[in-house]
Amino acid sequence: MNFIDLLKRIPEICKTPETLPLEGKKLILDFVTWLGSLVGIAVPPWVLTLVNILVVIVAIIAVFLIMFALMSVWERKILARAQNRYGPNRVGPWGLFQPVADGIKMLTKEDIVPRNADKVVHFIAPIVMLVPALILPVLLPYGRGMVAIDLSVGILFFFAVGAGSEVAIFLAGWSSRNKYSILGAMRAIAQMISYELPLVMSAVIVALVAGTLSPTGIVEAQGGYQFGFFPNWFVFTPWGFVACVLFYFSALAESNRSPFDLPEGESELVAGHLTEYSGFKYALFFMAEYVGMFAINGLLVTLFLGGYQAPLPFLTFIPSWCWFFIKLAFLAFSLVWVRATMPRFRIDQMMQFAWKFMLPMSFAALFSAAAWHYAGRGLLGWGISAVLVAIPYFALGYFCFTRHHSADNRRYLFSE
Amino acid sequence: MNTALNLLHLLTPESILVETILVVLIAGLFKATAQKRNMLLSLTLIGGVTAGAMLIFQPHYGNIANGMAVLDPLTRFIKVVVLGLSLITAVYAVQSNIRQHFAEYLALILFTAIGMMLLAGTENLLMIFIALEMVSIPLYLLAGFLKQSSASAEASLKYFLVGGVSAAFLLFGISLIYGTTGATSLRDLAQSAPAVTRDPLFLAGLVMAIVGFGFKVAAVPFHLWAPDVYEGAPTSSAALIASGSKVAGFLILAKFLAIGLAGAAGSAASSQLQPGWLPLLAVIAAISIVVGNLAALSQSNVKRILAYSAIAQSGYMLLGLSATGGTALISVLFYVVVYALTALGAFGVVLHVEQRRGGSQLHHFEGLHQSAPGLALCMGVFMISLAGIPPLAGFFGKFYLFAGALGSASQGGNLGLLWVVAIAITFNAVSLYYYLIVLKHVFVTPATHPAEPVTRRNAATFVTGLLAVSVFAIGLYPGVLLDPLRAAAQAANRKPVTAAPVQPK
Amino acid sequence: MSPILFWIFSALMLGFGAATILNRNPVASALSLVVSFLGLAALFFGLDANFIGVIQILVYAGAVMVLFIFIIMLLDLKAEQRRQINIPALLGGVAIVVAFTAQLVTVIRSYKAGNEPFAAITPNLPDAHNIGMTLFANYNLPFQVIGVLILVASIGVVVLSQRELK
Repeated sequence: MNFIDLLKRIPEICKTPETLPLEGKKLILDFVTWLGSLVGIAVPPWVLTLVNILVVIVAIIAVFLIMFALMSVWERKILARAQNRYGPNRVGPWGLFQPVADGIKMLTKEDIVPRNADKVVHFIAPIVMLVPALILPVLLPYGRGMVAIDLSVGILFFFAVGAGSEVAIFLAGWSSRNKYSILGAMRAIAQMISYELPLVMSAVIVALVAGTLSPTGIVEAQGGYQFGFFPNWFVFTPWGFVACVLFYFSALAESNRSPFDLPEGESELVAGHLTEYSGFKYALFFMAEYVGMFAINGLLVTLFLGGYQAPLPFLTFIPSWCWFFIKLAFLAFSLVWVRATMPRFRIDQMMQFAWKFMLPMSFAALFSAAAWHYAGRGLLGWGISAVLVAIPYFALGYFCFTRHHSADNRRYLFSE
Repeated sequence: MNTALNLLHLLTPESILVETILVVLIAGLFKATAQKRNMLLSLTLIGGVTAGAMLIFQPHYGNIANGMAVLDPLTRFIKVVVLGLSLITAVYAVQSNIRQHFAEYLALILFTAIGMMLLAGTENLLMIFIALEMVSIPLYLLAGFLKQSSASAEASLKYFLVGGVSAAFLLFGISLIYGTTGATSLRDLAQSAPAVTRDPLFLAGLVMAIVGFGFKVAAVPFHLWAPDVYEGAPTSSAALIASGSKVAGFLILAKFLAIGLAGAAGSAASSQLQPGWLPLLAVIAAISIVVGNLAALSQSNVKRILAYSAIAQSGYMLLGLSATGGTALISVLFYVVVYALTALGAFGVVLHVEQRRGGSQLHHFEGLHQSAPGLALCMGVFMISLAGIPPLAGFFGKFYLFAGALGSASQGGNLGLLWVVAIAITFNAVSLYYYLIVLKHVFVTPATHPAEPVTRRNAATFVTGLLAVSVFAIGLYPGVLLDPLRAAAQAANRKPVTAAPVQPK
Repeated sequence: MSPILFWIFSALMLGFGAATILNRNPVASALSLVVSFLGLAALFFGLDANFIGVIQILVYAGAVMVLFIFIIMLLDLKAEQRRQINIPALLGGVAIVVAFTAQLVTVIRSYKAGNEPFAAITPNLPDAHNIGMTLFANYNLPFQVIGVLILVASIGVVVLSQRELK
């Protein structure tokens, strides 16, 4: 094997885009072996394993950080468009280099630690926030055979790791010794606990139907086409649609995105748990939030939108991993869209929405999914399932969101 | 699937109780009216009586999932008893000073009843633990139900902490026993236990399990929570803690030791001491009798007197348990049931006095025979029965218990437990003093309190009277209680060990 | 699991478990407990019990600890006061600990199963499936009773924590 052979393989690999990333990884491993032979030693297997792991990690982190950078521009552009202005357009073509400028600004800013802060915890918090966020993308299947760790309990592991960010937010809020920080952290944790229930419940529904907790298995369960053209994605079943919407809103709340951004509501709490952070620590929080948001939306794609499956049979020529990122980009766009459109919730509305509407609806969707399964997953099941989610939807809507009381009937329980 | 159906079949009464609880909770949500408490109580009673009726018409035998849920005549008898005790407590609750969350209070009483019934009807260590928690957790809440009273909060917290520690002990003990024998079912345990009686891990597990149970039944080194809880908790809650949970606790301790660990008994006879649970139990019994009776002498609060008396009575019952074989189990169960009825009745009188006179100190009882002669008479019956004086049920309880302990076959029939029985009889004489002190305040001391209006009859006093009559009747004709117990126990023994899941009646 | 990893995670678990008790600051205690739970979960992963490991993180390190932390935050607990050390009590405690440890060591030495090597772990067991089958078939009754128990607990929480309306 020599270097020329390796170079020759590159155009070959590029001919089949479907397997491009996997073949690329093999190429790098062969390159390492070649490097070894250059020095005159046989590369030990543990080095190859290590390189294998590192390549995957670097690739995933690089992809997500690039996405984060692009998203920060894209979000501002879309928001600007929604508000009838230009948005960032000074740095580079169409303002594309804005993230670089932002990064330099963040890095060179003074890192301020309040005098009374618990310095160790204050330092640890951004790290504790970022690490789980970077673990999350490892679990997602990006394409056929493209999953870094195919864990049999991947879905649960995802939520388990995701819970780390709650601890991090608490650390940040508590260690700052600042009223705004601690209020923001309390709001954030209350919100995340509340929305974790519908989030996990709607994932459980999918696990129930797919019969597995492995993300790859769930994507495979959504393969194939009904009547030859209609994709078997779970979002196209009544229960799946409900669960998908619930998951979407819970994901919004979990990543503290507008309209659920009251933990850092600027007009009330300065910046919530981030109040006392500046410079690079702030940037780490920011990065963790975005990476976590991509990851959880990636999970939504996996659970409901068919993962890497193409939407129509004749579109399968586009490689599977492209489909994953196309769907993810669509979701990212919708997040910004929601942010530009919706006003922020009030805290009691937010809590009511979680406990009185989303949680019961997720149970309804669970029953509906079970009915769909036992009715044979056909049109009959589709109908029964639709009825089973429609009834609770209208009932809950009537009881939760219709005003039954006049204004003076309100009770202010905690205002004495 | 078949198992699930059998389970439902076997546990219909418990399921009915759960449904009753849900109905009561939902009914409790509606706006309060004057009749609401009585309405809630009648819902509870209807549900409870239905469950009791289902219990009586159930198949005679059942055994699900290797002893998770068993049913035999003895079990059924105890289940009916604990259900009845809980319902009586619910009647008391209406008269008590619980105003807020009354529906929840009744629901928690029913939850306790479910726990006790499950506890009575299981022969599996795992289920025993869960059912014990099912009894304990509602009781913690019931003890702390008076949120305005700091004594109630203290009682609840103490009960909770001690209960939590005891649960940890029990769980650790059970896990060690399971680890060495590989069995959670008591019948399997009985087969594999004799092989490991010398195993130190097994003995450690055994001791820990007995410590755990000791907390639950308030035997002496583990009794410190009892007086404060009895005093601080709402009286109706204390009544349930003293009666129902004691019956269930002793039944399960008896099952655990006599069925599961019969092979690891050892011997407590003074001549031939052998390691095992028997010597441990005998020593605990002796200390409980001594400490309980002595500490009761210096109390001035009737609830505390009842608490220390309960500790002493636990000692008597443990003495009964350490006399295995023969009719010992019957005599213990007879004793426990009689004790539960008596204690419940005594708490009924205390409840009345507390509502009328605002406390349960001894001086609050002064002149009770003038203001409420009927209740005073009842109190007399209960106290004398607790002291074990002949015409009443308590006497026969103690008589059978001591006779069983003396003639216990497993001790070689040669009066091996004589030393414990001697202690018990001596201190029974001591106990007479404080029971009679209470009666002195009730009957002899003239009232220093302003005279209150003559008692209006209500359900609670009626039930208290009924309890007094039953204690009296059992005293006159012990067979009323003894015969069904005996018959049930014989029938339970006759059943094949590997019973079919459910035999139709 | 390689023995090195086992020792690392065990040390992590025990060290932070001790830190939980020794710390005077309640927040530091709670966070040490989180790390201790994570170490335990890692041990489960090492035994190829992925499901239990994940549940350990999800339930204990996630839900339970977050609630702990939330309560600490709501109550604004201060660091515990340093107490006068009671020498006889300390000595008594140490004596009991030493005696108990010695006893435990001798018991485990003499216990035959304590010296046997474990059987090899079967990798890639469908553990979630197995646990589900066991739970819903053999242990159906305890499972349902625990469901009722949780209902009791939630009623209790509502009753005890609701403010009395005057």
